[in-house]
Amino acid sequence: MIRLENVTKSYSTEVVALRDASFDVAKGEFVFLVGPSGSGKSTLLRMLNRQERPERGAVWVAGRNIIGMPPGRVPHLRRNIGNIFQDYKLLLEKSVFENVAFAQEVIGRPSHVIKQQVPAVLELVGLAGKEDRLPHQLSGGEQQRVSIARAFVNRPLILLADEPTGNLDPGTGEGIMRLLDRINKTGTTVVMATHDQRIVNTMRKRVIQLDRGVIVRDQARGVYE
Amino acid sequence: MLSRIRYTLRETFDSFRRNATLTVAAIITAAISLLGVGLTLLSQHAFDNLLARWEGGVEMIVFMRPQATAEQLQLVEDNLSEQSQFIAEFSYCDEQCSLDEADRVLAGEPGVRELLDENNITTQFKAIPTEGTDVELLRQLSGAFSELPSVFEVKFAEDQISLISQLQSFFGFRLLLLSGFLLLAAILLIWNTIRTAIFARRREIEVMKLVGATDWFIRIPFMLEGLLHGLIGAGVASLGLWVWNTQWTTGVQDFPPNSGFAALVVTDGYEVTVMLIMFAIGALAGAIGSGIAASKFLDV
Repeated sequence: MIRLENVTKSYSTEVVALRDASFDVAKGEFVFLVGPSGSGKSTLLRMLNRQERPERGAVWVAGRNIIGMPPGRVPHLRRNIGNIFQDYKLLLEKSVFENVAFAQEVIGRPSHVIKQQVPAVLELVGLAGKEDRLPHQLSGGEQQRVSIARAFVNRPLILLADEPTGNLDPGTGEGIMRLLDRINKTGTTVVMATHDQRIVNTMRKRVIQLDRGVIVRDQARGVYE
Repeated sequence: MLSRIRYTLRETFDSFRRNATLTVAAIITAAISLLGVGLTLLSQHAFDNLLARWEGGVEMIVFMRPQATAEQLQLVEDNLSEQSQFIAEFSYCDEQCSLDEADRVLAGEPGVRELLDENNITTQFKAIPTEGTDVELLRQLSGAFSELPSVFEVKFAEDQISLISQLQSFFGFRLLLLSGFLLLAAILLIWNTIRTAIFARRREIEVMKLVGATDWFIRIPFMLEGLLHGLIGAGVASLGLWVWNTQWTTGVQDFPPNSGFAALVVTDGYEVTVMLIMFAIGALAGAIGSGIAASKFLDV
């Protein structure tokens, strides 16, 4: 599903975000990216949805090298990738329903499909009955669930999560991880960057560890350290 | 498709609402600049009316009395033909032609125009001199024409055109320059309004890009907003132009006879053409300005 081949990305001569990174992720895998701040986790995630481009190497997503992809095709690539962020990136003046529906509206889904699929995905993330609430009327965990619903509503092949539990207390974070695990079990590949040692050690999924842009460990059913 | 249209319209009007003050400022600036362009075009056309009878290089006109006979007309024609070394060509403007011309020349004096008909209008021989012929020479020749039977008077372009042309080029150029600057200001203001609207929604745009919205999908509501700024501005300017033209046309009727302003009005429907031009300029300036502004924020 995802393949990186000798990918190097630097922001300046001193700051190298990724150095000669190579790995494969199979369809339906759950992968943790771990490492200290500035190790290149977020850059790697941004590269997978073509927000960043490397100086060298190739990035394959769903069988296509996305580095040479024409700009006009990038939106179609992104329709197959869901994104979850530490700060949720919800639209504050839109309701829960509207935030999730927004992801379908912008890719031109008809309204009858939106009316059918949004409640279903809100049910899946445990937010049934809260469709009309605004983000500021929700807890942090609920806001992250809205973000996950928005990322998953178009049934993407891949879900990229950048520190999704970073702003949440441990109990709420566990709930979010259970939800991501459920989504992963539907066949969606999940790549998640995290600092949360406890979560990584509990889940026992594949772990790719980065240090100053270099992959120093790639371990199946791994732990944080 | 329907949901996209609904989405585009909703986003456009939401943005209008959110940036009401800037939107009003952009519309007013667009209206003032377009009104400037419109007034320039209208005044140019009004000046053209003043010079209507001298169009096409005509330098001398021999006006005939209304009851001139065919023989008398033939006599003038023969005399003009004999001067082929000084007169390159000439044409006869009969009663209907002269009445049509009066429609423009007397546009500001409908009362006077109403008194004219085929029985009392002066017909005209319009002469274009050969290249290099001095107008003074034509003036000397005119003495002979004035003596011919049924010739009412002989007039020369030089006597009438000089001042009008100077006025036309003086006002035309400066008004056009001013309009150009105002139009640039309007485009910049529309551009800035859209840029502010986009900046306020940069988070939304980032999310849109990440869920797979195309650049055009994001850009079109902003372009539509700019287009509406331009069109509403053009609408306000058209209203201003109509009020100005109506007031001026009515006002000219009260001017003293032979004040020289009788032809300096536009009553032939040209103002509608100017309004359409203003709408086209407004729409283009608005859509292009906002399209450029939107493009700068789409690099996610």
